[in-house]
Amino acid sequence: MKKVLAMAVAASLCAAAFTPVYAAEGEETVINACIASEPETLDPNLESSVDGATYATHMFEGLVKYVPTDAPAASDGTEYVDLLANDMGQAESYDVSEDGLTYTFHLRDDIFWSDGEPVKAADFEYSWKRIVNPETAADYGYMLDGIVENAAAIQAGEADADTLGITAVDDKTLEIKLEADCPYFMGICSFAALMPLRQDVIEEFGNEWTNPENIVVNGPYILTDWVHDSYLEMSVNESYYNLDAVGPDKIRWYLSDNQTQQLSSYQGGEYDFFDTLPADQIESLIASGDAHTADQIGTYYLYLSCDNIPDWRVRAAITLCIDRDNIVENVSQGGQTPASSIVAAGITTNDGENWTDVYPDRMYTALSEMYPDYDLSVYSDRCDLAVQLLEEAVADGYDASATIDYEYNTSDTHKAIAEAVQADVSSVLGLDVALNNSEWQTYTNNLSLGEFGMARLGWIADYDDASTYIELFTNGNSYNYGNWVNDEYTDLVTQAKALPGSAERDELLDQAEQMLFGEGGFTVCPIYWYTQQYCIKQNIKHAAWTPLGYFVLTYAEKTAE
Amino acid sequence: MDMLGYTLKRMAISVLTLLLVAAITFFLMNAIPGSPFMTEKSTPQQIALANAKYGLDKPLIVQFGNYLKNLAKGDMGVSLKMQEGTSVSKILFGQGKFVLSMKIGLLALLVAVIIGIPVGVLQAYYRGRWIDNILRVITTMGIAMPGFVVATLCLFEFGVTLGWLPVQSNSLETFGAYVMPVLTLALNPMCRIAKLTRTSMLDSISQDYIRTANAKGLKTRVVLFKHALRNSLIPVITYLGPLTAGIITGALVVEQIYHIPGLGNYFVSSILNRDYPVIMGTTLLLAALIVIMNLVVDIAYKIVDPRINITKKGD
Repeated sequence: MKKVLAMAVAASLCAAAFTPVYAAEGEETVINACIASEPETLDPNLESSVDGATYATHMFEGLVKYVPTDAPAASDGTEYVDLLANDMGQAESYDVSEDGLTYTFHLRDDIFWSDGEPVKAADFEYSWKRIVNPETAADYGYMLDGIVENAAAIQAGEADADTLGITAVDDKTLEIKLEADCPYFMGICSFAALMPLRQDVIEEFGNEWTNPENIVVNGPYILTDWVHDSYLEMSVNESYYNLDAVGPDKIRWYLSDNQTQQLSSYQGGEYDFFDTLPADQIESLIASGDAHTADQIGTYYLYLSCDNIPDWRVRAAITLCIDRDNIVENVSQGGQTPASSIVAAGITTNDGENWTDVYPDRMYTALSEMYPDYDLSVYSDRCDLAVQLLEEAVADGYDASATIDYEYNTSDTHKAIAEAVQADVSSVLGLDVALNNSEWQTYTNNLSLGEFGMARLGWIADYDDASTYIELFTNGNSYNYGNWVNDEYTDLVTQAKALPGSAERDELLDQAEQMLFGEGGFTVCPIYWYTQQYCIKQNIKHAAWTPLGYFVLTYAEKTAE
Repeated sequence: MDMLGYTLKRMAISVLTLLLVAAITFFLMNAIPGSPFMTEKSTPQQIALANAKYGLDKPLIVQFGNYLKNLAKGDMGVSLKMQEGTSVSKILFGQGKFVLSMKIGLLALLVAVIIGIPVGVLQAYYRGRWIDNILRVITTMGIAMPGFVVATLCLFEFGVTLGWLPVQSNSLETFGAYVMPVLTLALNPMCRIAKLTRTSMLDSISQDYIRTANAKGLKTRVVLFKHALRNSLIPVITYLGPLTAGIITGALVVEQIYHIPGLGNYFVSSILNRDYPVIMGTTLLLAALIVIMNLVVDIAYKIVDPRINITKKGD
């Protein structure tokens, strides 16, 4: 009897050992995905990361939402993920006043919170006032500055949050007053941080309002489980008005930042989708067809310190001598495009055309006019001009023996790019570049202190407008780490931002960008325009991608493998 | 001084040690650059506001005093970044992080001792024979191979290629989820214990009292395990103190690789995120654990071998 019992126990232990944790879950469709580690917050107003925005986009819906289009997410035509575009969300229509400064949104009648309460205009008013309130300390508190009436004054502590230009006229009518006609305002209305929120829920539960037992949402999914540092589980929100369009019954977002473990989990069948690929395996994964790329509106660039490299010709020479084709083909290897301007590919003009097609190669425009003997579309000519510029600077007193410190935050990719840049600057210009890396917190601190000659950063667009990049370099901007000071540039950007969407506005922004890469400029050195790599199982269709960088699984279909 | 007096004295020293750890950690973590509120898109004004909200704008010494005052009341503060506003004690205990880490750590310790000691005895008994030679190669390899290599190899072989065990152990919901993390964590100490046991057993079995026991015709099992092993365990017990610390630090890697939301994983993230109260809470908890383990080991000496003097003058 004892033997039988022991064998039964041993058999059951073995069975338990070899049963996969993620066995099929009945008839439910579950997509297992991983996009990041534990989010800092699930509060839409407080999040500022791509993963936070992704979760918010699944659980909440703004005045405007994202819907799939027929277009693929990658310009090379590979159709693994659909591109998303804006469409009306919780608002079914809107009116704009003649001066373009007052938007009146009419909310749908069939929209409800997950607890059955109707979604009201006051929920939007509360959320928008909450995010601009300095006491909320939201990273995106600045988002409405210069756009919605009084937002900047409220952020600066000069006005009360209640004075924000947003009013719930009645339960279904929301009026928003703008300070200037903003061409990308409708895009902002779909922004994850500006989702409607329930004041009563937040006030009742405080910081814990986003816990599964407390959260109330108005989007297609509701949080049903959250095992911290392990996974978030979202289930379909039965109160959502557009249930027919919703795909999987559940989405389980695993929380991890370990790239190797993520790849193993994908290969072991535990993930259907993940988007943080180990840098050294991107090329082989793409070549084997396991990984794909989506176009992203973002620029990888270097700051060139105006304090530590004071001669603009040296900064220009460094910018010219970097072989970007080599970097994207042999170093980053993720299908990125060599950048030729700070404004990223994918940003559109007032006419909806690609900005970088209408205003191409702005990194070289001014130099081409100043040095017409060089064909700056050719790398060897760029190197020749770089050498000439350095010689001119040395003749005027620049000390070419000085070591330039190149700072980057610890990462294999950043390290490899830094080494490629170091090799180019050294071989073409003969300048000595010292590479220093530090983890993110120390790194950003060094950036703020200006303790670098060159330093990397990436900027993913917050909205589809060239100003998201160009205003980074205005006087006093907290991201102007290179400490470039140019009053004319700052005035141009200010003028442009005050104008409604128009050709004139685009022209002013373009003039500014040319100035950034003109005489006295070159505080920034664009390297490439981002793409996003991801792995997705072949039995998942209609996963989708917003051009600003969020994956959306709301509309995905999962079939048996 | 009797055992009770010694224990009380050691406990008082332990509290002082913890205070010292708290002070050093607090000032060191504040000395490194960065802020819990620094993100890619946060402005200096926002950081200043958040600092004021959580009292980080006050002088360091005042902040430390406040921390100790609150700690004395059992308040470890709230997370500033990773789970903003959630109390540290809730994160460490309420969310099961500590329990998860302890489960893996204690199981690994148990496996290391249960397998390591008999293996060492076996090696000593068969000294120089083929069993000893094979086990010596295996134990040397087990010591030489870093934990992350073993973990990664196991992950690819048993998780990805064969698919026998889950790649992610998560919250250890199934028996299978325990297998790889526990064995990975146990391997190195298991091999060390086997080596230590072998060496000290070899020393013991050449002693006169063992010869006497053999001459009296006692069974080999009794001679080995009752007489020789008891004296051979002293070095093993000595090793258990640092081993506890080693298992905890080793758990950082194992938790990362097998995706276990334990304390080790969170500790690393808290440092990278400059989540000061979480850093303090986790450090103090780990330090307390190590201090307690060392105390337990010292007392265990006395129990295993009453000849050992645990006080200056002896009993």
